Amino acid sequence: MLLFILKRLGLAVLVAFTVSFISFSLLFMAGDPAAALAGETASGEDIEAIRKLYGFDRPMLVQYGDWLVSALQFDFGESYYFRLPVSSLIVDRLGVTMTLGVCGITFALLTAVPLGVAAAIRPNSIIDRVALFLSVAGQAMPSFWFGLILIVIFAIKLGWLPPSGASTPAHFIMPTIVLGYYAMPAIMRLTRAGMLDVLSSDYIRTARAKGAPEGRVLFRHALRNAIIPVVSLAAVQMGFMLGGSIVVESIFALHGAGFLAWESIARNDLPTVQALILVFSMFYIVFTFLADVLNAWLDPRMRSS
Amino acid sequence: MTQFDTQDPILAEITGPTPGQMLRKRVFGHQGLMIGAGVLVILALIAVFAPLLAPHDPYAQSLMTRMEPPVFLGGDWEHPLGTDHLGRDYLSRLIYGARVSLMIGGIAALISGVIGTAMGVAAGYFGGRVDMVVTFLINVRLAMPVVLVALAVVAILGGSLQVVIVVLGLLLWDRFAVVMRASTLQVRGREYVAAARAIGASTPRVILSEIMPNIANNLIVVVTLEMAHAILLEAALSFLGLGVQPPTPSWGLMVSEGKNMMLFEPWMVLIPGAVLFILVLAINLMGDGLRDVTAPENRS
Amino acid sequence: MKQSSLRHTLAGLAIVAASGAAYAEKANDTLRVAFTKELENVDSYFNSSREGVVLQRAVWDGLIYRDPITNEYSGNLATSWEWIDDLTLELKLREGVKFHNGEPFNADDVVYTVNFVAREENGVKTQRNVNWMKSAEKVDDYTVRIHLKDKFPAAIEFLSGPVSMYPDEYYAEAGPSGMGLKPVGTGPYKVVSVTPGQHFVLEKNENYHDSPKGQPEITNIDIRTIPDVNTQMAELFSGSLDLIWQVPADQAEKLAEMDQFTVTNESTMRVGYLSMDAAGRSGDTPFTNLKVRQAVNHAINREELVAALLKGKSKVVWTPCFPSQFGCVEEAATQYEYDPEKAKALLAEAGYPDGFTTEFYAYRDREYAEAILSYLNAVGIKSDFKFLQYSALRELNMTGDVPLAFLTWGSFSVNDASAMVSQFFKHGSLDDARDDQVLADLEVADSATDPDTRVEHYTKAIERITEQAYWAPMFSYNTNYVSTKEVEYTPTADEVLRFTTMGWN
Repeated sequence: MLLFILKRLGLAVLVAFTVSFISFSLLFMAGDPAAALAGETASGEDIEAIRKLYGFDRPMLVQYGDWLVSALQFDFGESYYFRLPVSSLIVDRLGVTMTLGVCGITFALLTAVPLGVAAAIRPNSIIDRVALFLSVAGQAMPSFWFGLILIVIFAIKLGWLPPSGASTPAHFIMPTIVLGYYAMPAIMRLTRAGMLDVLSSDYIRTARAKGAPEGRVLFRHALRNAIIPVVSLAAVQMGFMLGGSIVVESIFALHGAGFLAWESIARNDLPTVQALILVFSMFYIVFTFLADVLNAWLDPRMRSS
Repeated sequence: MTQFDTQDPILAEITGPTPGQMLRKRVFGHQGLMIGAGVLVILALIAVFAPLLAPHDPYAQSLMTRMEPPVFLGGDWEHPLGTDHLGRDYLSRLIYGARVSLMIGGIAALISGVIGTAMGVAAGYFGGRVDMVVTFLINVRLAMPVVLVALAVVAILGGSLQVVIVVLGLLLWDRFAVVMRASTLQVRGREYVAAARAIGASTPRVILSEIMPNIANNLIVVVTLEMAHAILLEAALSFLGLGVQPPTPSWGLMVSEGKNMMLFEPWMVLIPGAVLFILVLAINLMGDGLRDVTAPENRS
Repeated sequence: MKQSSLRHTLAGLAIVAASGAAYAEKANDTLRVAFTKELENVDSYFNSSREGVVLQRAVWDGLIYRDPITNEYSGNLATSWEWIDDLTLELKLREGVKFHNGEPFNADDVVYTVNFVAREENGVKTQRNVNWMKSAEKVDDYTVRIHLKDKFPAAIEFLSGPVSMYPDEYYAEAGPSGMGLKPVGTGPYKVVSVTPGQHFVLEKNENYHDSPKGQPEITNIDIRTIPDVNTQMAELFSGSLDLIWQVPADQAEKLAEMDQFTVTNESTMRVGYLSMDAAGRSGDTPFTNLKVRQAVNHAINREELVAALLKGKSKVVWTPCFPSQFGCVEEAATQYEYDPEKAKALLAEAGYPDGFTTEFYAYRDREYAEAILSYLNAVGIKSDFKFLQYSALRELNMTGDVPLAFLTWGSFSVNDASAMVSQFFKHGSLDDARDDQVLADLEVADSATDPDTRVEHYTKAIERITEQAYWAPMFSYNTNYVSTKEVEYTPTADEVLRFTTMGWN
C-alpha cells in the first residue's frame, strides 16, 4: 500500500513538473512582456531597459529554472499588473473558487446520485429515460448560455437572486448550479451502472431472499457498494470543475482564481497566468491522487497494480 | 493515476467485444440514435447548402436596421429571425454558423483522433515503455486545465478559425488515447491477431488490418463525443472573446455579441444558444446511441 | 409536495438575497458605484486607468486645482505660486491641513513626494506625468520650490492633475504597495478598505480643508469592480448599485427609455481613426499608394457610424486631432465624403480592380471595428481581422508590422493639438507616415510661443496629413452615465467621476 502511494506520488510530482514546463514554454512564445509592462507612454528605450531589468533577454531554460526554484518555495514572482506577489493574489481569490467547487460538486452529487439510483431501480422506465435524457441534454448545454439564462430569469425577471458577486450565500446559488450541472451526467451514469451491477449480484439476491426490506437492501447494501467509484469520480470531476470555473466566474463576476486567470490572460500578466495554470493542474493532480489512493484503500485488488 | 477505467464511465461502458452482425438491427431500432443522426444530417445539409438556403448575405451590414426583432416578436418576414447589432440577417448568420461549428467539431476531432488513436494503439499494442510514456502523457494532458490553456494560447497566437481548430485538436486527444489504448489491449490477445503475427505479418499490417477494424466502433463513439466537446469549447472561447474572430458567424460569438443586449433583447442570446444546444444534443444522442448499439451487454 | 418545498426553499433564498443587498441606500447615505476595470494599484502614481484617476481625485489633493468647467486654476494645497525663472516654480502652502492618518501637511511632504516620483528608478507608471520635474526644495515649512528639467509650459496643468501630494513619513514606510493597500491622503474621502482590484470603500473626510473641490456630501462610497456591463445593469435593476458609467450607447438608450434611471451623455476627447502604413514599414503594402488610402477614406460612412453606433454627443471627425484642441483647425482638413463607387474606382486606378486582402488590427470596440471592416469589405478590401490587447498591438505598431489598424487616442484630456497630432507624426516609432514636411511644421508648431505661429503650422500639418490621407479619422467618443433617480450628479467632459459633486435628490 505504501509503495503504491509512493509510486503514485512520484508520478503526480513528475506530471506537475511537466505541466509547468509545457505552460512555461507556451507562455514564452507569447514573446516579450516588456512592452506590456512599460505601459502606454513608454518609448523604445524604456522597453529595452525593462527587458534587461526583468531579464527577459535570457534563454528560456534559464528563466524557467529561476521560476521553478522560486515556485517551489511558493514564490511565483510579482504580478505585472498589480505589482503584488502572485501567491498572495491567488490565495486571496482561491477561497471563492474553492467554495464554488465544493458547492458545485455537492450539488452534482445531491442531484445525480438519487437520479442514478432511481434510474437503476427501474431500468427502462420513465424515470430512467428522463434521467438519461437529462444527462445527455445536460452535457449539451453551453454553460455560458445556461448562466445567462439563469440571470435573466432569476435575477432580472423574478428578482429572487442577486445577479453577481460573492457577498452572501445567495450569490453562490446560480454559479453552483451552472458549474455543478456539467458534472452531473457522468456521476449519474456511473451511479446507475454501479447500482445495476450490484443489484444483479448474488449477494443482493441473498439479502432479498432473506426478506430484508427493500429500502434497506437498496441503501444499506447496494448504494454503499455502488458509491465507491462515484466518490473517486467526484474527486476527479472536482479537479476538472475548478479548471472550468473560468467561464462561470466571468459570467457571475465572482472574483475567484478562474476570473483572475481570464483577466490576466487579457492583461498579458504572464507570471499570474503561469502560476494559475500550475495551481489548477495541482488541483487535478491532487484530486486524482486522492481518488486513486481511496480506490486502492477500498479495493485491495488494486493495490498490486 | 492510471485507473482511467474506473474514472471514466463512458469508457467503462463502451469497451468490450462487439458482435458486428447485430449492429445494423440495433442501429435502426434505437430512438435516440435515429433522432440524433437525423438532426445531425439535417444540420450538415444546411451547412453544405448554406448559400442556397440563406435569405441574405451573412456579412451584409445595414447599420440603419440594427437589432430588428424576429417575426414572432413583431418583426417582419424580411428578416425572419431579426438582425444583429450590425443589422446583419440573423437567420443567414445562423445558417452559415452551422458550417463553422461543424467544421470546428469535425476537424478538431479529426486532429485529436489521429493523435490520440496513434498514441493509444501504440501504447496498447506495444505495452511496456511505450505504454508508460503514453500513459504519462495522458496524465499530463489531463492535468492541464483545457479552457485556461486554450485561452492563453489563442490569446498569444491571435484568434482565428484555423488557430482555434488546431489548438482544440491538439488539446482534446486524451479520451481517444485512453479508449484506444484499452480497446487495443483487449483486442491484442485475440486469436486472429496471434494468427496474423504467426504468418509473419508486419506490425503496421497487423495494426491496420487486424486491430483497427476491431476497435473502430469505439473510435466512432469517441469521435462523436469529442466533436461535441470541441464545438462547445469553441463556443466558450468565442464567448470569452478569444475564439473565432468577427465577422465569421460563429454561434458562440453570436451569443457573446448578443449578450450585450441580453437584458433588453434576450432573443439575441436565446436563438444562437438554442441552436448550439440542439446541435450538441444531436451529436451526443448519436454518440450515446452508438455506444448502446456497439456495447449492448453493458446496457440492460 | 416536492414542488412546494422547492418553492419554500427559493422563497427563503430570495429573502437571504434581499437582506444581503440592502435596498434604498440613500437611507444609509451610501453611494454604490461600479468600476469596469480591475484597478492594479490605488496608489495613483502606479496605475494608468480612469478608475485610478477617479480614486486619486477623491483621496488625494494636488497643489493646484483646475475647475473642470471654467478651466480656471486656483490653489488647493498651495495657496499661491510664482515662477522664479523658467525652470523654478515657488509655491506657498496651505497651513493647517492634515492627512487622513493625522500627519500634518507641510513642505516636507511636497519635497518627499516630488523627489520620489521624479526619480525614474522609482518606476512611476506614466512617466510623462512626472518626468518634467527635476526635484523639489524646502524654503521654509510652508514654502517650496519645484525645479524643472526643461521649460515646460504645462507645469501648472500637471500640478493640478496627476501630481498629488503624499504624506512623507507614511509613504517612506509603506511605499507604493503599502499605499495601494492602505491609501492615506488629504482628499475629501478617506479610504476605509481596499480589496485589491475588487472592492473599495470610502468615507467622507469630516475635516476636509476649505478646498476648491468643495465639501463632500455623501457619507459613504462603496465601489465594486464588475467587469461585465450586463451584470452592472442587472445590479442596477435589482437595486444594488446606484451609479454606473461608461455604459455603451445601445444599452444607455434602452435604460433612458425606462423611467427609473437618469442617463447623462458627455463627449470625451477620444478620437477613433484608421491608421494606414503609408511608409510601407510592414513590407509591400497597398497602403503606400495614395489612391488606396483615399479609397479607404471614401469607403467609410462616418455619419452612419456616429448615428447608429456611437450616438450621444459623438461627432464625425476629419482631423488627426480633437477639434476643440488648440491648433486643431477643422477647416484645414480634407473631407472624404462616403462614396463606395469612388472608392472602388480609386482602387482600380491604383491597380487593384478586384481589391486586395490585408491584416486589420484593433484593440477595443470590436463592434465599431467590425462595422468598419464591413465597409471596407464592400469596396473590395478584404481583411484578416486581429483583435489584440493594447500592449500587444502597440508593440507590433512600434516595430512597424501593422498595415491597417483601428486605433483611438484620448490625448490624456490635454486640450492642445500637440497632445495628439504631434504624438504620431513626428517620426516616432508609432509614425507610419514618416512625412518630412509634416515633421517640419509640427516642430515649429510645438515649440513656438506665439499662438498665431502655432496655429499656422498646425494648419499646414493637418492639411498635408489629410490630403495625403495618412489616416482615416472617423469620430469622437462619448460616455454615458446611468444612475438611479435618487442620485444627483452632473458629469464633466473629462470622464472623471467626482464624488464631491454628487448628492441625493
